[in-house]
Amino acid sequence: MSRSAEWPIAVCSVDVSRPIAPLTGLGRYSRVRVFVSHGDRLIGSVDVWHRGADTLSASRMIDALADRHSETLFRYALRRQLEGTASASPRLAPTSVSIVVPTCDRPDDLQRCLESLVRQRTRHQVEIIVVDNRPSLGRTKAVASRFPSVRLVEEHRAGLSYARNAGILHATGTLVVATDDDVAAPDTWIEKLVEPFSRPEVMVVTGHVLPLELETEAQCRFEAYGGLGKGFAAFEADGAWLRSTRDAAPTWRLGATANAAFRAAVFQDPAIGLMHVALGAGTPTGCSEDSYMFYRILRAGGTLVYEPSAWVWHRHRESMPSLRNQIRAYSTGHVAYHLLTLMKDGDRRAIVRLLYSLPRHLLVRAVQRLRRHSDYPLSLIALEILGNLMGPIALWRSLRRVRRLGPGPAPPVAKGTNAVSLESQAT
Amino acid sequence: MLTFGSEGCGGTELGRLITDRFAARIQRHLVADGLFAGDLDDLGAVKADCARRPPVDGPPVTVAVCTRDGADRLPACLDALLALEYPASLLDLLVVDNAPVDDATASLVRSRYPAVRYVVEPIPGLDRARNRAILESTAGIVAFTDDDVSVDPGWVEAIARIFAGEPDVDAVTGLVVPAEIDAPAQRLFEEYGGFSRGFDRRYERVDTVSGERAARRHGGAGRFGTGANMAFRRNIFERIGLFDIALDVGTPANGGGDLEMFFRVLKEGGTLVYEPAAIVAHRHRRTYEALRTQLANNGIGFYAYLVRSAMHYPDERAAFLRLGAWWLWWWNLRRFAQTFVSASAYPRDLVMAELRGSIAGLGRYQQSRRAMETTRGGDA
Repeated sequence: MSRSAEWPIAVCSVDVSRPIAPLTGLGRYSRVRVFVSHGDRLIGSVDVWHRGADTLSASRMIDALADRHSETLFRYALRRQLEGTASASPRLAPTSVSIVVPTCDRPDDLQRCLESLVRQRTRHQVEIIVVDNRPSLGRTKAVASRFPSVRLVEEHRAGLSYARNAGILHATGTLVVATDDDVAAPDTWIEKLVEPFSRPEVMVVTGHVLPLELETEAQCRFEAYGGLGKGFAAFEADGAWLRSTRDAAPTWRLGATANAAFRAAVFQDPAIGLMHVALGAGTPTGCSEDSYMFYRILRAGGTLVYEPSAWVWHRHRESMPSLRNQIRAYSTGHVAYHLLTLMKDGDRRAIVRLLYSLPRHLLVRAVQRLRRHSDYPLSLIALEILGNLMGPIALWRSLRRVRRLGPGPAPPVAKGTNAVSLESQAT
Repeated sequence: MLTFGSEGCGGTELGRLITDRFAARIQRHLVADGLFAGDLDDLGAVKADCARRPPVDGPPVTVAVCTRDGADRLPACLDALLALEYPASLLDLLVVDNAPVDDATASLVRSRYPAVRYVVEPIPGLDRARNRAILESTAGIVAFTDDDVSVDPGWVEAIARIFAGEPDVDAVTGLVVPAEIDAPAQRLFEEYGGFSRGFDRRYERVDTVSGERAARRHGGAGRFGTGANMAFRRNIFERIGLFDIALDVGTPANGGGDLEMFFRVLKEGGTLVYEPAAIVAHRHRRTYEALRTQLANNGIGFYAYLVRSAMHYPDERAAFLRLGAWWLWWWNLRRFAQTFVSASAYPRDLVMAELRGSIAGLGRYQQSRRAMETTRGGDA
């Protein structure tokens, strides 16, 4: 296989509950990544090597789907038949949802994102809040003004957490959905994402993040690195899960704020609070504010549900330099996150992670690469190590910056049902 | 494959063995059929009549049987063709009689098979006969089979379904199963590898995006199938030319013209599909001598094909050289060496026959090209 065939990869989604149509205009690609859903349920993906043919016929796609997913589809069909429609899951009563979209002067991405958000088909009352984190440039305002239903909030202090918090503080919904400006959502996304809140113990729901396109080397490498999604299997995590490991619990595998919904009440819970402003994009630490948020919620006794079927499309960074920045930021933020759990929450498992399992993980991957068991470049592994080493300094600089800029206004006084504390809900 | 002893096997027992062995594949087919119907909800209850894909109201097909003095073999072949489950109005059955010594075939077809057209190709050569069939065909699709083959009733429909549903596909090959494994020579041919190329549909194409060398992945054209079960869109021959008659000389059985055409289709940017649902049953040679001749011809045909393709496509030469050298070592010489150390190795004289054929095949193509030019010069 020659190297150039590894990208670009065409991306599409297919709903197998309806007759499958052929795909055309594929002449630029060697393969297509097909994401398979059955109605509301996301099942998996399959790569079809069509090797530059312009069309991918329906029967060819069906062959690939049956080869890869026949067991899942069969089991799923059988279960639906046995259960019938009688045992459909209890539905969440209509409620109010605030979608918070921080943006950083990316008008084209924001346009696509908002177009997909205003198209949502849902029983819930939806409020869309765009937080402009670069208000001086003025381009975000122009995009937001094209959508009359969108509220625009400005946050001058650079940093994703500052921006997200500003949006959360303006949100009026019972539920707050976090997403990013480089995301586009299918039109049933909100409905599926908030459905698990019908269970009172659920405080967070995260969803799958699929690549919008895989056109460049950077986009394909990022997806191979793991992307932002957490797989096609649903799972749950709670306080017991968080305490169950000797090593630090892998909260970074629970999801990301590109696609997450919270009960608004968590932000007013004194044990949880808002996004930590020392973490996140736009700060020296670069990321992990979402992992830390999940950590605080689980520690306070809340439950997190990962619902892959509530997926969004994410446009990965196109250029290799920005991919390197992102991977370095992930590595830096990862270490900063562990230091923060150690310092603020007294979680000594962070030491195990930082001094044993993280170095071991990097070593294993480097060895795998050297033995050609993986094709993840060594240069990126080296970059991750560099990013890890920068973690402590980055956290120190970030915390100093927060002292200078202020941690942000306190949450408004709790009102109505939102004020129910986690303890009372958990018991 | 399931193997039974001489005591046979009851129906219930057979059903149990089949489900044990093939449950996953059956499930895969049910899901594929359900996806085709756009309805997965019915799968749970496996109905007595499994969801079948709807029949194609498909394209007209010419079925060509190339034969040479085959009056004794033809009746079984033609009876199977008349039993094809495909609308007769869309089916054009054609026998090409290649350099017949008498009129036995002609009178057989005319007296017993009035629905079958009969044409003669006077100059000997399988590829000449195939080209005659293409010129005589009236349909957009030409399917080829041999006179020692019985086609499955669904053979043409399986081929037509691919061509109807896949506008990009130029060639389809299918599964060739043994009609019988009675004689030791027939068992030896199956042991040699037989004609079967597996039970999974495959789409073959040279990757135009990565710019890969065609011969690197597709040079071993034998894995796509064989001339006893192949079909083409007729218009592809206008684009890439007819079968190369220079591959005929000295090998009346199989000169590698089929392999060469499979490779040419792919090299010229076409798509070939191996469709295991297109089934024919081949009656292998019953005598040891006939088997040895066939294996020698295989050697000649394969290497003549390699030489021909390397000569026509200079950009593929390095890849063909590497393939030829590897095949000589891996298939011919390694198996030859095994006959000295392993009791279960393939009979040495058969390996030798193929090896000798392979070496002869290296020079055969240029030789026959020269011969053809001389003849043409003499004619002028």
